[in-house]
Amino acid sequence: MNCKQFQEVLPHIIESGGNPDQEAHLQSCRECGELVRDLRYIADQARLLLPMHDPNPRVWNNIQKSLAREGLVPEDRMSRQGHTMTNSPAQKKSWTPLGLILAATAVLALSLLLVNYRSTNPANQENLAPPVPDNSPATAANADDHVLVSQLAQQDADVAGAYQASLEEVSSYISDAQKAVNDDPDDSAAQEHLRDAYQQKAVLYQMATALLLE
Amino acid sequence: MTLAKKTIASGLSEAEAIDLAKAGDAPAFEGLYGLHKRRVYSLCLRMTGNTAEAEDLTQEAFLQLYRKISTFRGESAFSTWLHRLAVNVVLMHLRKKGLPEVSLDEALEPQHEDGPKKDIGARDNVLAGSIDRVNLERAIESLPPGYRIIFVLHDIEGYEHNEIAEMMGCSIGNSKSQLHKARMKLRDLLKLSRAEKASRR
Repeated sequence: MNCKQFQEVLPHIIESGGNPDQEAHLQSCRECGELVRDLRYIADQARLLLPMHDPNPRVWNNIQKSLAREGLVPEDRMSRQGHTMTNSPAQKKSWTPLGLILAATAVLALSLLLVNYRSTNPANQENLAPPVPDNSPATAANADDHVLVSQLAQQDADVAGAYQASLEEVSSYISDAQKAVNDDPDDSAAQEHLRDAYQQKAVLYQMATALLLE
Repeated sequence: MTLAKKTIASGLSEAEAIDLAKAGDAPAFEGLYGLHKRRVYSLCLRMTGNTAEAEDLTQEAFLQLYRKISTFRGESAFSTWLHRLAVNVVLMHLRKKGLPEVSLDEALEPQHEDGPKKDIGARDNVLAGSIDRVNLERAIESLPPGYRIIFVLHDIEGYEHNEIAEMMGCSIGNSKSQLHKARMKLRDLLKLSRAEKASRR
């Protein structure tokens, strides 16, 4: 089997594996091996992509108006506040490194709230996270996540597990976005990704902290 | 985020909100919107690659949800049902717009037919470990529409080829073929992006 023959059946191989001939070619041909590895890697990475963007609040406003126009729902039956957590495009453009810092600060503030909760609750002391020798921001954030999950685990192991999975996803997203910003500090799209990532983390901390303080 | 599926802002469970929304309860419907808006909008945005279209389609999907929620019988998860509804809204839009959902004549670039690609750089130029989600999102946005839709449905949303074939009115083989081409194109785009970044340093 040569490369051309291998490539012709590649979609099938990626889906369900190859026969012995194809596997033998894959083992012996570096370029086909790299190709298969790349295609599988792309598929694996795609599965990890999060739904990252919230719709503009006008989407909800338009839904309300349409439902009212069709007589399905009186307009005053819906919330007047709408879904205003997302910034408008104009606001998004105004995000600066300062904005990113503020978002990060929100996460830190919530972390402090959590630490405060922990320190005032002696029953929780024995579940403190081990000391973290590395003082890097990412490691500190991971330590905070660990503490948060430990606290939640005392209330409900399933909930803690769900938070852990979500925090890991978001931390990975932050890491990717931060890398993109580092590569090009003027990249507004990368800044937007980073801001979204921190917002997601802030929301997680808000939800978790509310749960702990209940 | 997985946690968002547990409860909505008013403290209702999703199942309670669904029951209330079926009875026409507007705040419960609003809660369901809050719970699912991000995923539905992201789906629309990834499939169309256009913010304005994605907003319109998100709006249409939730309007259809309001009209049809009484038909939800709980045979599948609500999110699965809603996302299928949203996919159908997007595909219907693309049909009306005349965009090629699955373009049979989008030929592979010649080097793909002729064997492994040997351009960009060294022999150990594998992608594994070198791409991040931000770059991947950008590369997906750059895909031709036909490729992008299949890639989003299969690799991101997790639909099987038989489901995609049914939704799009194409053969399973065509769905597989388009997905393969999409991944090949993405590989090129990601390598190009990496090479450009390297050259700037």
